[in-house]
Amino acid sequence: MLSKKWSILVAALLVGTTLLTACGGAPQVVTVEVTKVVAGETVVEVVTATPPPPPKEMRPNVLYTNFGPGDVPTIDPALSTDTSSVQVVDEITVGLTRLHEVSLLLEPGMAESWTVSDDGLTYTFKVRQGIPWVRWNGSAVEEVLDCEGNVRYVTANDFEYGIKRTGSPDTASDYAYVLGFAIKGLNELNGAAGWGDLTAEEKQALVDGVAVKALDASMLEVTFTTPAVYNLNIIGLWVGHAQPKWIIEGDDCTEARGDRWTEPGFNQSYGPYVLKEWIHDSSMTLVKNTLWPGIESVPVPQIDEIQFAMLDASPAFSEYEAGNLDTTGVPLPDMDRVKADPLLSQELIIAPSGCTYYYGFNVTKAPMDNVHMRRALSHAVDRQGLIDNVLKGGQEPAQWFCRPGNAGCPTMADHPDTGIKTDAEAAKAELKAYMDEMGFTSVDQIPEIVLMYNTSEGHKRIAEAVAEMWKESLGIQVTVTNQEWKVYLVTVQEDSPQVWRMGWCLDYPDANNWTREVMDVGGSASASTQWTNDTFHQILMDAALEPDPVKRQDMYAQAEQILVYDDAAIIPMYWYTRVTVTKPYVNRTYSQHGHEAYEKWSLNLEIE
Amino acid sequence: MAVSEAVVPVRRRTASLWADALYRLTRNKASVFGGSLVILLVLTAVFAAQLSPYSYSDQDREQTDAVPSWIMGLFPMIKPYAKLSGEFPLGADYVGRDLLSRLIYGAQISLSVALVGPLIALFVGTVYGLISGFFSGRVDNLMMRFVDIMYAFPGMLLIILMMAFFRSAFSESEPGTFAYLMNAIDRRFGGMLFIFVGIGITAWMGTARLARGQVLSLREQEFTLAARAMGAGNGRIIFRHLLPNVLGPLVITVTLAIPGYIATEAFLSFIGLGVNPPTPSWGSMIADGSQSIRTYPHQAILPALALSITMFAFNFLGDGLRDALDPRLRGTQ
Amino acid sequence: MGRYVVRRIFWMLLVLFLISLITFAMEHAVPGGPFDREKKLPAEIIANLEERYHLDQPYWKQYALYLYDVLVPRITKQKPLSMADETMINVKLGGAYYLRWMNFGPSYSSRSRTVNDIIREQLPVSLQLGLLSMAVALSIGLPMGILAALKQNTIWDYLGMGVAIFGVSVPVVAMGPVLVWIFGVALKWLPPTGWGTKPPYLFFFVPHNLFTWNFWRYALMPAFAVGTGFSAIIARLTRASLLQVIHEDYIRTARAKGLAERVVITRHALRNALIPVVTILGPMFAAVLTGLFVVEQVFGIPGLGRYFITSITNRDYPVIMGTILLYAIFLVIANVLVDITYAWLDPRIRYE
Repeated sequence: MLSKKWSILVAALLVGTTLLTACGGAPQVVTVEVTKVVAGETVVEVVTATPPPPPKEMRPNVLYTNFGPGDVPTIDPALSTDTSSVQVVDEITVGLTRLHEVSLLLEPGMAESWTVSDDGLTYTFKVRQGIPWVRWNGSAVEEVLDCEGNVRYVTANDFEYGIKRTGSPDTASDYAYVLGFAIKGLNELNGAAGWGDLTAEEKQALVDGVAVKALDASMLEVTFTTPAVYNLNIIGLWVGHAQPKWIIEGDDCTEARGDRWTEPGFNQSYGPYVLKEWIHDSSMTLVKNTLWPGIESVPVPQIDEIQFAMLDASPAFSEYEAGNLDTTGVPLPDMDRVKADPLLSQELIIAPSGCTYYYGFNVTKAPMDNVHMRRALSHAVDRQGLIDNVLKGGQEPAQWFCRPGNAGCPTMADHPDTGIKTDAEAAKAELKAYMDEMGFTSVDQIPEIVLMYNTSEGHKRIAEAVAEMWKESLGIQVTVTNQEWKVYLVTVQEDSPQVWRMGWCLDYPDANNWTREVMDVGGSASASTQWTNDTFHQILMDAALEPDPVKRQDMYAQAEQILVYDDAAIIPMYWYTRVTVTKPYVNRTYSQHGHEAYEKWSLNLEIE
Repeated sequence: MAVSEAVVPVRRRTASLWADALYRLTRNKASVFGGSLVILLVLTAVFAAQLSPYSYSDQDREQTDAVPSWIMGLFPMIKPYAKLSGEFPLGADYVGRDLLSRLIYGAQISLSVALVGPLIALFVGTVYGLISGFFSGRVDNLMMRFVDIMYAFPGMLLIILMMAFFRSAFSESEPGTFAYLMNAIDRRFGGMLFIFVGIGITAWMGTARLARGQVLSLREQEFTLAARAMGAGNGRIIFRHLLPNVLGPLVITVTLAIPGYIATEAFLSFIGLGVNPPTPSWGSMIADGSQSIRTYPHQAILPALALSITMFAFNFLGDGLRDALDPRLRGTQ
Repeated sequence: MGRYVVRRIFWMLLVLFLISLITFAMEHAVPGGPFDREKKLPAEIIANLEERYHLDQPYWKQYALYLYDVLVPRITKQKPLSMADETMINVKLGGAYYLRWMNFGPSYSSRSRTVNDIIREQLPVSLQLGLLSMAVALSIGLPMGILAALKQNTIWDYLGMGVAIFGVSVPVVAMGPVLVWIFGVALKWLPPTGWGTKPPYLFFFVPHNLFTWNFWRYALMPAFAVGTGFSAIIARLTRASLLQVIHEDYIRTARAKGLAERVVITRHALRNALIPVVTILGPMFAAVLTGLFVVEQVFGIPGLGRYFITSITNRDYPVIMGTILLYAIFLVIANVLVDITYAWLDPRIRYE
């Protein structure tokens, strides 16, 4: 009876003091007088007890971040072009190769190794085995089973299917042309004339003509069009990731979901994260794929869940300050305040980023059809003034298009005078040359110029400042208009105005991705510039194969000179920086290529 | 119909309707206040060029977001980072344009909408309603059915659809077409033409109904019969006899709708379907300021104040006008 | 009475038909369809897509097909063939039969969502906000109007009407940012943007966290911004109506009978005075709903109104048409109900 009382007493005291200290904070040492019976004798002892420290509050192992306004357009690898789409695709699937997000070096991905043929055109990739297709079943990540009840693993066939599906005209992929530049036979498929009228056999023949073949479940053979150095980059792009044929087209035991296969509930993937929830226009949640074994380049993730909001820059920043987002970009209007704030300025990081901001011309529309006029406008942009007063983000004025630091791109150290610079006098001289050529006596005779940008506060400010710069130094009044991103893209492709705004971020760190794939004929901006130049094209073709890096850089410098000065097809404005704030408990990397590698992030879970 | 304050009529010497209305209007303190504000605003808009220290589009990019000291005193939280400058009475915006000048020119935009909206409503609506009511029968039926349909259209949605339609279809038109011409004119006026058309299209229906109702009741009255007996033709009857009697309630309705037009234009500019930059509309200034609300709150609060005060003024004036022109209170205090 | 109702309903359908026609015509007057501008698409693929969305048919046929999809309920046995065939109302009848009704078609800006999905996800938010705004309007407007009428020509009257004018004079575009700054930035009491609930909802629109602070903290400012404007209308109407009723003979009788003033007002005057207010509640709600996109835009609320604006800039025609039709239906139903109520109350109107 005594021992019972004793235990109860001690227990009560311990509990009592624990509770008190939990409220009080620091654990305190407590002394208790205890009466106990030892070998028949009653002894009174003084016992010191330190109650256990109160458990520290833990935050959930969830990362809260933001995509930007508007829904994610799609997470179908074949159809993705948007940064947010690519971000998701790269988290839920992995390509044959991948880029290290910080060093931008090529790494193996789902292909653990590869061999090259002697002519440098044919690669045989060894696809990793044992990685299952998975899906979220409402409460956990589970493996996808085939019709016999066996687990479906990722095979070379899935990659073959993925690439061919991307290239098929039926899929109507906007990015297939990138694969088409590199993979033999893909352009013939993607650009097939009269596709709708072809017979099934003819269509199949074209599909079979694409030089991507799964030799067996683990070996994939790909033949490229040229032995270019960047072939391995291209095959690893998201458009070449494996895709699950059975859920898209259906099979004996699976219903075909067609375009809806990416919806939550139907989506299947294999990468480090899995799609858990997608509330359109509102949020998306990815959950850790517990069945991802982890490979060297793509480790097992440490963060259990990632929740993406879809907020505009300004409300996103409000949420960050309120503690509901862990990282976000700093909107332009808040820059001053963030830099001056003791807390926020600590969380602010301005890092270089692999993007270039530029204004393009439509060289078929007057007065942009005259090179003097184009050069005049380009010279008249006060890039440094823009950066210091309007952007305030430590960006660098761009003298050419391709971002320094990428393989082959000229650098300011080596080519300080290449390209075009801000020069008010030169601008006026060029304008005079134009007016003399056209026989104009006053600027009012110049045809109307429309400057268009996609709706965003940042672009608006830049456009208004630049329009005013042109008015101040050249006396030309341009009309500034804007369109929503989606419509803007179509307008700029179909019938671009005289001057249009665009940015380009690297897909892989090579000048080819910039100058060739954007600016050259057939590139993503060529329909907007309507500009071609045979010398430019030839230099790029040669440079793609040039092995000597110094010579290669010089060739691209030559090409840039044509692009931004001789022909002045675009106005390079500045090379981006990333201006972000991140909470101190997030351990993160800063990706150089436009989307993050969340599988390498982690959180400090204890709340200070 | 709203019942005004129960009043004990105090008889005065009866005057004409308008003189009597004016008398009563000037006695109403609230409407005098509103009226004077409106006059002040009109003067500001008319003499905008003289009143504003700078142009509304000149940028001083070295002084973006500069603030004067009194704003710093009012919003002490901006002290750590705000740039002090004595050159701008209300501060500068994000590209260094003077806020005061932009507010003053913004008055032009709002007041021109306040003027044009009712004008279109009055003109189109009255003529439409007069014709419909006068001819009655089938013509009237058809015309009023059309009005009913337009009425059933969700108003704001219609305006937004129209503005988007104008801004896209017309701006992509080929040179030489009507659409291209309209677009060119619109651009010259900073985007105002389409706003006027958009508001006009939705404004005339109420007036038309009212005018028609009035005409229907007046048509059968004796003075109309008398005029007809004396040989007056239709046109003469409509314009010399019916119109003056109809005008009173119409003016009231139209004036009361002005704040609505101003708010509509402000919202259209807020979402970007209104004026083109750099034309300053209070709505677009509020939109710009909302972006900086955490950093420089005055950039949004000042145009919001301007907009609210203007609408207050017109509301007071409109209410006063309605009470003044109410025939039941004729001849009373 | 029955004939009057039938006439009104017929009229309603006619109006809706004409509205849809006008909207349809305006959309297609904008040059270019949604697909013939894709850069990399071969003409054959465009043709395929156009066939899927019926764009290769002559305009009248497209229009007819659209109306048929929206208005005609069907009873079918099969599951929908493709996404584009799904409907908003899907009721399972006995056996393997489904009653399908209201298919607004696929969205042009999203390849995996139909207009029905969009409406199902976004309309409830607008409904929630609309109802809350009405609640705010009533809770401010009614007491103010009653007080102003009872204490006519005193400070209460002027104060009440002054506040009413305030509500009407400060538009949401102006009030929004100011509220956001005061409560969201300076005091940090309320979140400046966003909405506190997400699907799924009960009974189509009731949020499951209705009684939590998390829902209300997002809803307070926008509901207030919208509600103040309408509270002015309610206040004025209540005041005028109550003033009129107070001077009626039967009120004098009640007072003469010796009833307490409070009883006179609440038992007799108010009940009759509130009739006009009740009758405008329907149209007012419709007006609130169709005007919500202003506040949704200002406060970043993911409702149908805000999506409507986005769909306009994205040239997403089915969404545009679907939204306009939906709102027009609300408006027209509300107006017709009011007309019927008035006709029931005042028999003279029936014979107009």
